[in-house]
Amino acid sequence: MTDHDLKQALHLAASTSRHAPDPADDLARARAAGQARSRRRVRAGLSGIAAVAVLGIGTTAVLTGQDSSGTPSAGSSSTPQPSTKAPDGIQLVAETLDASPYTFDLTPQGWAVQGEHPWTVTIAPTDGSVSDHPDDFEGKLVIMFEPRPPGGREVDVDGRRFWITGDSGYTTISTWTLPGEPEGAVRLQYPNDTGWDEDTMLAFTASVHVGDGAEFGGGSTEPDGMQPLDQVGAQRPSERPTLEP
Amino acid sequence: MRDEERSTEFVEFTRTHRRDLMRTAGLLCAGDEAHAEDLVQTTLTKLYLSWARVRRADSPLAYARTSLTHLFIDETKRAHRRRETTSADPTLALAREPVRAGTDLELREAVLAALQSLGPRQRAVVVLRHWLDLDVAETAHVLGCSTGTVKSQNARALAHLRTVLETADHHLILEESP
Repeated sequence: MTDHDLKQALHLAASTSRHAPDPADDLARARAAGQARSRRRVRAGLSGIAAVAVLGIGTTAVLTGQDSSGTPSAGSSSTPQPSTKAPDGIQLVAETLDASPYTFDLTPQGWAVQGEHPWTVTIAPTDGSVSDHPDDFEGKLVIMFEPRPPGGREVDVDGRRFWITGDSGYTTISTWTLPGEPEGAVRLQYPNDTGWDEDTMLAFTASVHVGDGAEFGGGSTEPDGMQPLDQVGAQRPSERPTLEP
Repeated sequence: MRDEERSTEFVEFTRTHRRDLMRTAGLLCAGDEAHAEDLVQTTLTKLYLSWARVRRADSPLAYARTSLTHLFIDETKRAHRRRETTSADPTLALAREPVRAGTDLELREAVLAALQSLGPRQRAVVVLRHWLDLDVAETAHVLGCSTGTVKSQNARALAHLRTVLETADHHLILEESP
């Protein structure tokens, strides 16, 4: 039997007796999803405005000398405090997310692995708001493996250091790999305005494990939506930290 | 683009191509028609929400098939994916009953069972390469992997199908395409 015969067998297997439903049902379903997405975006926008307003009030309080005890500063090496998540914020669940050669101890609900390469993995929202093309990074979470963290604002969480930068609609968090993993830095690029707050981004980044198959990426050309390395920052850590026991 | 215009185009596209998408989804899901229907519904919704991209595509149907395959692969990777497996439709249950040897229906059941015994990615490779006639490079592009991975997955999948179908007394000779 030739490949033509295989196609005939598949043709037979693909036959279905189901009647195609009225396209109006698909249209109604799609319109409802579109309206729900619009409502989510409006709410996310309002949450962002509210967050800016709160930050503005906080800044005013500091500038006018009012008591701000107990409020962490936004300076370097700060330890993030638990925050109240917006209703539409990303929810992380304690389930393993496999994105070979990377695995995560946490899984963001409503997001799924889209593209897998040894040098990069793409995780995208499943609401249809972004391209299906795995190499189009617009609006998606991108995981990369690099020789060193690119620098940025330093944040320590549970004895592990992270570097945070933000530009061009994305927030990037980098950290050294853990002992026992391939030596290098894992870098996660999060799209802004998609429900990820800093604590959630840090928690998800901290849950990553880099497998042996990971390869360094970071070519000279950046695909759509990718923040070029030379825009991220040039500050380099002097040595590779280790986790506290 | 006006919403009315988008809706009109979407309805026409759905009327023309939904059955094709259902057949592809049926193969990806190895005959699980409820799962296939879910995939198609979600795919059509995603297409509607990004209809401008569908319009720009050289082949909207090819774009839709790619979206469908991506969704299928994404679902298989989602750790917390939950699916109900009950079948309330008695006609679907009847289709699973044993059938006479030598009929097309028996061969269909055997092929679906063989597909079901493949891993999702290998099944996707078989569907893309041998049902949708994509070449190795196109298949690798859709699945986001290397051409070498496609070749090796395809070879393993065909060898597995050959073994399973021969065990079911269907002596199909499945040759790997170049």
